[in-house]
Amino acid sequence: MYRLVVRLMLVGLGPAILAASLLAQGAPPPLVTPQELLDGLKPDGAHWLVFGGGYENHRHSPLTQITPENVGRLVPQWVFQTDTPARFETTPLLRDNVLYVTGPLNLAWAIDARTGREIWRYRRELPPTGSLTACCGLVNKGFGVLGDRLFMTTLDAHLLALDMKTGAVAWDVTLEDYRKGYASTIAPLVVKDKVIVGVAGGEYGIRGFIDAYDAKTGKQAWRFYTIPGPGEPGNDTWAGDSWQRGGAGVWVTGAYDPALNLLYYGIGNPGPDYHSESRKGDNLYSDSIVALDADTGKLRWHYQFTPHDLHDWDATEVPVLADLTIAGQPRKVVMFANRNGFYYTLDRTDGKLIVAKPFVITTWAKEVGPDGRPVLLPGHVPDEKGALTCPDVTGATNFWPPSYDPAQRLFFVNAREVCATYYAWRQEYVPGERFTGGAAQRARGADMRAYGALRAIDPTTGERRWEFEYISPSTSGLLSTASGLIFSGDAEGNFLAIDARSGKFLWRFQMGSALHGTSAITYMLDGRQHVLVPTGTTLTSWALSDVPREKPFTN
Amino acid sequence: MKWIYTALIVTVLSVAHVIAQDLFVTIPTLPTKNPLEGNADAITAGMGAYRVRCADCHGMDARGVRSPDITQVWAKGRTDDALFRTIRNGVPGTEMPAFAAPRTSDVDIWRILAYLKTLAAPAPTGLARGNATTGQNVFAANCIACHRVGEHGGTLGPDLSRIGAARAREAIARQIRGNVADFRTGYEPVTLTTPNGQEIRGVKKNEDLFSVQIMDTGERIQGYLREDMRTVTNEKQSAMPAFAADRLSDADLDDLLAYLTSLQGANGENPAGGGR
Repeated sequence: MYRLVVRLMLVGLGPAILAASLLAQGAPPPLVTPQELLDGLKPDGAHWLVFGGGYENHRHSPLTQITPENVGRLVPQWVFQTDTPARFETTPLLRDNVLYVTGPLNLAWAIDARTGREIWRYRRELPPTGSLTACCGLVNKGFGVLGDRLFMTTLDAHLLALDMKTGAVAWDVTLEDYRKGYASTIAPLVVKDKVIVGVAGGEYGIRGFIDAYDAKTGKQAWRFYTIPGPGEPGNDTWAGDSWQRGGAGVWVTGAYDPALNLLYYGIGNPGPDYHSESRKGDNLYSDSIVALDADTGKLRWHYQFTPHDLHDWDATEVPVLADLTIAGQPRKVVMFANRNGFYYTLDRTDGKLIVAKPFVITTWAKEVGPDGRPVLLPGHVPDEKGALTCPDVTGATNFWPPSYDPAQRLFFVNAREVCATYYAWRQEYVPGERFTGGAAQRARGADMRAYGALRAIDPTTGERRWEFEYISPSTSGLLSTASGLIFSGDAEGNFLAIDARSGKFLWRFQMGSALHGTSAITYMLDGRQHVLVPTGTTLTSWALSDVPREKPFTN
Repeated sequence: MKWIYTALIVTVLSVAHVIAQDLFVTIPTLPTKNPLEGNADAITAGMGAYRVRCADCHGMDARGVRSPDITQVWAKGRTDDALFRTIRNGVPGTEMPAFAAPRTSDVDIWRILAYLKTLAAPAPTGLARGNATTGQNVFAANCIACHRVGEHGGTLGPDLSRIGAARAREAIARQIRGNVADFRTGYEPVTLTTPNGQEIRGVKKNEDLFSVQIMDTGERIQGYLREDMRTVTNEKQSAMPAFAADRLSDADLDDLLAYLTSLQGANGENPAGGGR
């Protein structure tokens, strides 16, 4: 009897003891599952696994340890330096206390989130200098993740899968030939078993597309061309053969609605950027948002913000999903602050317009009509003499991510108040060369103040709730938290905490380089909320000075 | 044994061939003559590019606003390839920036020069007014407290050691007479007022939402927090006094301009192919 008890105890305890000893040895954590990606940002703050925090791209954390009252007690924990001449535009991912970060020049790292020490480093050899065509910097916007693999696009238009533990390349596929003007900087979005990516090159006469690849094998699952080919609906919105080099790149990560199984992506500008005569017609699906079936890549609906765009107003801003009550009706919406100066709320089931309202000074269109098309004002077709239009070519906002606070139902965006003179002329297309058919110059002068502002917009009306003004336009993305904070940055290098309820300034730190094109992220580590800030060539980790660290092991 | 030598020679030759090809790819030789001169498409494209990138300083007609008249560069003996290099590398010590590849391609530069060539004018024939030696004395009496030439002078205003290469004569004249509305970056006048009413005047070197960095009229460089000041005011009037005719005669101005336009820097001309 005694023996039996002992035996039973051993049988019962055995696995428990084994499990405990494995944990102490650092057993590998379970693989990243599709469910974990669906969960988004959870109250435990243990991870950040999707570009926008979750598929809805809120960049709004449920964490509340750092508050408007105590944010002044943030102190740096460590600084990581890339030792490269180019800067971060990346959204880092965090899992199991390790950060996974892509950098400029096709670099990537796994970094110990506790200490900032490098665990592994990956570098892809770049093709010879001068042959890369990424128009606006040799940057990258971040990893996607699934299983034990990270996914990363490259400047020479490849998609790589890296082993999370070592950084070794698991597979490598070519999206397109970089010598024809294709590049890729987008953070992949992983949906179920597929990796979704796009290509840049709207200034180089490419034909843009969104691709899906099998996460295990790298085999292409589907491709959606952002410019319809002959015989497809919409090809007739491009005069002659202009569709072949119409641009319409995809370089900002979209959103995903699992209930509708739809992907939402903003599409880039038509090319050549400024010359109207070179591509008569609406030029679908440039400057549009498209809703694609996540399994097949088939187009469900589209909405074109700027038909026949002549100002390089890519719709490459981050789409944000929410469920709102508008005019007493529950609506599934996608929110979109566009480079063309208008803020939009669309029904994300069918693409119908609900709200369109300028959020900066906008001179090219009187309004967006009930049919969803902008009502154009005269005098804004660029020519050789030049035409003054607001906003400027960088736009009312751009690829830097906004954030959305579902409790306050407020959409936060860093907006720019800048105008430009746009010029246009006919240009011959040469494969691999810049193909813009014009240029733009920022308007200057005493009556042409150029500045920026963080603006809070009510998505049910498009009305501005409050703003925080910068002395010059900011290109920083936003992170907000459930405790009522917004983390932003200005062009002068200040990292800023703003009160999300009032827009009042709370705290700042001069980082020495601007937070550009991306936002801070936040997570819990050893009982302390951390804020991780990519600026210039550094990552800086912050936490409250008066919150003691919980040790991961007890005696 | 002989085949080893043959193989060696072949190897050396093919390596040399590869290196030579590589060199040829990375350092293409620059044509001495603009390959796009007279090309109608290039002239149109060049006009657009010129208006966006050059006209702000050199004027829509290229006759100079702040920066020199560039319609006479050929008449003065500059060659196409030298002008190409000036655009590519910029002019050190002036506001003329370098237009680097790949953002600005070789073709872009040739297009701009093709357009400029259509505006080319003969060299001026009128006699140059003013005496530079006398002008140097005018400078020493009126300007040197704030402006530096070579080793001598103040630092509150811009260094004028290469002003002759950077500015059109008329632009310098307008500046001296006080008929200029805008300020050069780093020299915008600013007045800070302390809580007890003391005023600190100077020129703005940098600023952000929370602070401002200045050189005050005593040439002290210093940063101040906005929260420590009662007011921080951007002035409309330049820190440089206006020298109207009652203060500086037309003859003195001509002498001074003759001196200033003679200041072309150490070598007189931008060293071709400078930079990296």
